[in-house]
Amino acid sequence: MISALLLAAALTTSSPNQCLLCHPDVRVLFDRSRHHAEEVTCTACHGGNAQAITVEGAHSGSFRGVPKRRDIPALCATCHSNVEKMRPYNLPTDQYALYQTSRHGQLLAKGDERVAVCIDCHGSHEILPPEDPRSSTYVRNIPATCGKCHGDAKLMAAYGLQGNPATEFAAGVHGTLLLEKGNLAAPDCTRCHGAHGATPPGVGDVDKICGQCHATTRTYFLQGPHKAAMDKAGLPECAACHDRHDNRPADVGMLDKVCLNCHGADSAQVKLSQQMKTSYSRASEEIDQAHALVQRAAAIPLYVEDYQARLEEARTALLESLPVMHSLNLASVESLTGRGRGIAREVESELNGKLQGRRWLKVGLLVFWFYLLITLALLLRFRRKAVAESSR
Amino acid sequence: MSPDPDRPRSSVRGWLEERFNLTEMFSFLTSFGLFPTELDARRPLKEAIAEALSRPFPSYARWPRVLGILSMLLFLFLGVTGVMLALYYQPTAGDAYASVTTLVRDVSFGSFVHHVHGWAARLLILILLIRVWRFYFQGMYKGPREALWIVSTLLFLVAAAADFTGRLLPWDQHGYWQTIRGMEVLVALPVGGWVLTFFVGGASPDTLVLLRFYFLHVVVLPLLLLCLFYLNFSTVRRVGLSFSPGESRSGTGVFKVHLYNLVILALLVFGCLVTLATLLPSPYLAAADPFNTPAGVRPAWYLLASHAFLQSIPTLVPSWLRGLLLEAILACCVLLPFLDRSPGRAASQRRFALILGVAVLALWLVFTWMGYRMEVGR
Repeated sequence: MISALLLAAALTTSSPNQCLLCHPDVRVLFDRSRHHAEEVTCTACHGGNAQAITVEGAHSGSFRGVPKRRDIPALCATCHSNVEKMRPYNLPTDQYALYQTSRHGQLLAKGDERVAVCIDCHGSHEILPPEDPRSSTYVRNIPATCGKCHGDAKLMAAYGLQGNPATEFAAGVHGTLLLEKGNLAAPDCTRCHGAHGATPPGVGDVDKICGQCHATTRTYFLQGPHKAAMDKAGLPECAACHDRHDNRPADVGMLDKVCLNCHGADSAQVKLSQQMKTSYSRASEEIDQAHALVQRAAAIPLYVEDYQARLEEARTALLESLPVMHSLNLASVESLTGRGRGIAREVESELNGKLQGRRWLKVGLLVFWFYLLITLALLLRFRRKAVAESSR
Repeated sequence: MSPDPDRPRSSVRGWLEERFNLTEMFSFLTSFGLFPTELDARRPLKEAIAEALSRPFPSYARWPRVLGILSMLLFLFLGVTGVMLALYYQPTAGDAYASVTTLVRDVSFGSFVHHVHGWAARLLILILLIRVWRFYFQGMYKGPREALWIVSTLLFLVAAAADFTGRLLPWDQHGYWQTIRGMEVLVALPVGGWVLTFFVGGASPDTLVLLRFYFLHVVVLPLLLLCLFYLNFSTVRRVGLSFSPGESRSGTGVFKVHLYNLVILALLVFGCLVTLATLLPSPYLAAADPFNTPAGVRPAWYLLASHAFLQSIPTLVPSWLRGLLLEAILACCVLLPFLDRSPGRAASQRRFALILGVAVLALWLVFTWMGYRMEVGR
């Protein structure tokens, strides 16, 4: 009786997508998806006849049921590699081509169905665009999405991969920025490894990848002797010193440790690293001192905006010296730290002059009291005279 | 009195005398502590002054009667420096801090005037409080000086209100949060709190509250203080200074001596204010930030005892009752002359009042200390 009613209802509304009558659970997921919003129907992926009102009729013709994992990339590509279809959405059409070059795609081609296919990252029925914070491909969700497989030690062991890059990433400087501080400009996994063409970068390419964001640092790195030497020794450039997924915020303290990985403790290279570090630390200390003096003057208050701006300039020079250190050119580093120190000293000496000037206030106070006491003495004398007169 | 047609009109004074009652004006203008005896307003100025000066002249510009005129002098300094500050100050939440910064940093002698104003305010309240306690312990609230007592207690309360409203005006972190802490105490009072809420419209300062505080601070409260000072000296003029039995009347002299006393006192006050402002300027702090409470901010010192009192009594007593109790104590203080029925001023005649006074003073100090300690742990 009920099914007859449903049938009648379906017939009268003549909906183009009758599949969801029998698959209401899928409907719940599908209705939220981007595909539903763009009027993509079930048959686009599953084949069959969406207008049929019997199971046999619906599951006939081109019906293919649940697509096989190995067929999925090609299936998605039927629309997503179609320039005509993707043009109105301004979407790229090279994802399938990229995928075929990726480790995932290469292994799939060899018949390994455990590797990631489209649906593992994007979902199937409930696909959301990457701008949607609920989407598994939203920038802050990507580490977890990749971590679904790459955090599975048993699965990864089959490919000789160790560790959990997703948790390592979360502990590193980039992960902290992206996941804790919500800085969407911080890189996710795909920024270094690629998304559809995901492949681990090889030696010789690491500096190019990091250099996408750390362009200045890369420029100085290429000027120095490390690039050629590392390529020769098979060391992964930036990652050789800064670690990979769990790289910590860089500071000059690193110079005490990482250089010793390759160079002897009493080598000229380690000496150079210590010279760069000392040069930086000394400038940093002097700028901090000048800053404290500016704070003291501001609390009086004296006019300090100009000094604050100059100290900002000093800090900029100091900050610039950090990427320059990658060139291993001591003279360039010292020219920048020297500029920072020079400004700090200038500010300190000028402010000290002004603060010294305030000592004259106390001298002025003494002079004031000197005259006040003379006046009081005179007044007391006059008063005594007045008292004497009145008692006469 | 009608102008005398025989009087020579050559002098400016004579000309004015025919058109104004100069004696009355002089009497009013000098009734803020300059001239401690009454003048006969019906006689010409010169005669009235000569007549007043011929009488012995009790000077109150000497210890222990100096506190009244001292507070008047401080009030004058506050008025003069206050007007100077008002030339630069802008009473809006957006501009107040910047205008004070300009004043204390860029304007010549601006910081000096600013600090003198602050120190004069602190001293004024302290002296008015000491004066009330002196009056209490020396029985100065006894007839015919009931009015003097009431006026001097009100002077302290209004001066404290002026100080309270003034602390917000620089719109810096400390003043802002101190005002919030103080408002918490005041708003908790049953009637006073309602009046305050009605006037300022809330317990957290915004630009309108600042404007109202400014208006109270520069117009309403100074006028009230001026009226109270006038009443204070008028009643002293009428009932005379009080000398305890056996006390030498060495303060009694001539007007000239009184004038010298006044000038010396004024110079000493000025010297003290200049010294304090130079050596102990109040710190210049960051601008008020409503979203960032600094640690250890307490209400102004005169509110600490009330703060501790309201917080330390067990919560079994509802807060409105605690507030009411506080207000009742305050009302009793002001109306003391009508409550203390002991026969005379002498210490032997009012043992109970003296013991009560010591007890209240001790309690007040203890509560103030408690109120101070309360914020240390926070």
